[in-house]
Amino acid sequence: MNEVPALSPARTLRQLFLTLFLRGRGARGLRRDRAPKSIARKLWLTLGLYGLTGFLALFFVRQPVFALAVYLHAMTFMFLGMFVASSAGEVLFNKEEGDILLHRPVEPRTLLWAKVRVLVEVSLWLAGIFNLAGFFVGVAAPDGGWRFPLAHAISTALEALFCTGSVVLVYQLCLGWFGRERLEGLMTTAQVFVSVAVVLSAQILPRLLIHSRSFTGLAIGSWWIVFLAPAWFAGFDDALAGSAAMSSWLLALVAAGATAAVLWTAFGKLARTYEAGLRSLNENVSPRGRNQGRRRWLDRLVNQSPLRWWFRDPVTRASFVLTSAYLFRDRDVKLRIYPGIAPMLVMPFIVMFQGHGRGGFRHGSFGVAFASSYLGLIPLLTLNLLQYSQQWQASDVFRAAPMPGPARLCRGARRAVLCFLTLPVLVIFGATIWLFQGGTPDWVLLLPGIVALPIYALIPNLGGRSVPLSLPTEEGKSTGRGLMMIPVLLVSAAISGVAALARRGGWFWPFVLVEAVAALVAYLAMSRSIAAVPWPSME
Amino acid sequence: MIVLDKLTKRFGPQTAVDALSFEIPAGQIVGFLGPNGAGKSTTLKMLTGMIEPTSGSAQIGGFDLQSETIEVKRRVGFVPESGAVFESLSGLEYLEMVAALYGIPAKAALARIEQFIAFFDLGFDTLTDKLLGAYSKGMRRKVVITAALLHNPPVVFFDEPLDGLDANAAVGFKALIQTLAREGKTIVYSSHILDVVERVCHRVIIIDKGKLLLDGKPDELVAAHQAGSLERLFTQLTGGAELERRAEDFAKTFRP
Repeated sequence: MNEVPALSPARTLRQLFLTLFLRGRGARGLRRDRAPKSIARKLWLTLGLYGLTGFLALFFVRQPVFALAVYLHAMTFMFLGMFVASSAGEVLFNKEEGDILLHRPVEPRTLLWAKVRVLVEVSLWLAGIFNLAGFFVGVAAPDGGWRFPLAHAISTALEALFCTGSVVLVYQLCLGWFGRERLEGLMTTAQVFVSVAVVLSAQILPRLLIHSRSFTGLAIGSWWIVFLAPAWFAGFDDALAGSAAMSSWLLALVAAGATAAVLWTAFGKLARTYEAGLRSLNENVSPRGRNQGRRRWLDRLVNQSPLRWWFRDPVTRASFVLTSAYLFRDRDVKLRIYPGIAPMLVMPFIVMFQGHGRGGFRHGSFGVAFASSYLGLIPLLTLNLLQYSQQWQASDVFRAAPMPGPARLCRGARRAVLCFLTLPVLVIFGATIWLFQGGTPDWVLLLPGIVALPIYALIPNLGGRSVPLSLPTEEGKSTGRGLMMIPVLLVSAAISGVAALARRGGWFWPFVLVEAVAALVAYLAMSRSIAAVPWPSME
Repeated sequence: MIVLDKLTKRFGPQTAVDALSFEIPAGQIVGFLGPNGAGKSTTLKMLTGMIEPTSGSAQIGGFDLQSETIEVKRRVGFVPESGAVFESLSGLEYLEMVAALYGIPAKAALARIEQFIAFFDLGFDTLTDKLLGAYSKGMRRKVVITAALLHNPPVVFFDEPLDGLDANAAVGFKALIQTLAREGKTIVYSSHILDVVERVCHRVIIIDKGKLLLDGKPDELVAAHQAGSLERLFTQLTGGAELERRAEDFAKTFRP
């Protein structure tokens, strides 16, 4: 009987990374028969949500192929970009896997390809399910037909390759240009920028097209469309299964050319840089004195008046310093949080500028009010994400300390998030309003959102949950977070709507007063409830 | 079997390994010692191709570390200090994955894994049903040691291999590496448990601040320095005796 040969390293690694992706990298305490299902179930839920969102393509029934394709590719670009940007750091440059894989006889290019293949594969699942409804809508488009599904499938696959290749390329370039010492910080920065760029690109294009009011004429022929990646792939669809205009063929050429160039540069030319990057991550020597200034600054901050009074509880102060340190320094936490909140940073500006576009910024009072309410999602999401850490086992020290429950730790974490994330964003919003509204800024419309902020920040801690850095990162992969944000968004929209009405109707200040009283009552009740929660039992 | 020639690693201004040169013939067990931060793990990571040397060269089994890295890696087994594994794989999945990376056919790999399971008293059910994340530290260490020896490498580097192993497993492991050395394998054994090193190793190399301090047979070195034991010799060389005295003073500060 012939011996079954061993799988090739490429196939072995592809299988490995797909398994790790589906099960997660840390599965402490799980049994094998439970592990795959636990993540796969979430994946099915995610795919289901993507599939349902895809039905929004029905709004484009009877629209030309280019308009439909722009919408589909813009949304796909955003979903895939966000997915790849948030996953790539962990998948491509995982510090922990150095001790496991780097001494094995595997070429760095093989390792890189295996990881990218998994990213592309999962991207294609997500893209495929999201575009499912769009395939049929395209068949019914006036200039569409049965060629559309095939053309769109090809362009979506190209888009997935382009997205993955671009993110890998950004990392490779950071490595090549800036070297090991600055790699970790730069990777995080690059990831945040990629996330923001993806959201912007995907949000701006459909809006520009809607404002142009002529989906095919002005948009395809406009020079600026060449700078928006989703339009290239839409051009591909339109060239092969739509109007077949010359400009569409040009866009299709750009799509194919850009994808080929990105892949060649990322995987052909710069593959060697990847090996250097992996080796660098394994050199666990931190540059001397790198964060000393920041450490001193943090210590000084909490020990100065009036903050010294705000941090008079030593546990709250310690938790504030700990959380701040992780927000500034820990690569894993930064890679999870900053790309995660990128849409929260971009969307309020888009909402504000939408108001600006429709009859002047001054008439966009709902936009301004909504922008500040939207701010509440920043502490909500950040505190939720902050509970996951690769060093979660170190949180045993919290339980070992003489504290009845996690309330004071949660308070410190909340304050760190409010100080270092929410407040700066609020200042930026204020400055933006001032810049675009000239002499009479509508700053007061930010008030209803600001008043609601502390309440939003308490939500993650209800029931003693979201203790900072206390859970394995694996448990952070949940679609439940997105579901939790929906009611918060609805409440934000309601508050903003009423605030805008109140402003117009002349009863804005009474409204703010009522909201403040209600917020105070809710804050006290929620704080008391959180303070009463004991440590949950450890499983 | 292992030749180092002025092997150096710098991290910016900091020199972790400073022009380290020595040779280790086949069949020798070498204790590789040094205080924390001496450069032991960095040296081992360079010799296994995990990090790149800044200068100098090394050869393993006649292959150059920098130009023939993959060939070197094929001939090397490594048990890292961290004992890192992919926690969401079962033990069997992990070992099969490692075997495939060395090109071992599935059937041969399974047979080999079963031999290790029997040696380490790991239940086959545990290996197939539980994910590595649920293993005890000792069980995980056994899996990591198995993964390092699965492809029958001529050179094995152990970085604190006994960490987490119970007394019986440790005794078995020590006997295993002595037998492996008799079979011609070269073993580099880095550990802080010096009495084990003294009993098991044919030779010790002591480094501090990246530099070679001593190289020789344990009993000869102990006798030459009139230290009484390897532990005493080590503390003499690396400033441990001073720490012992300070510990007594420090402990007094705990008096109520």
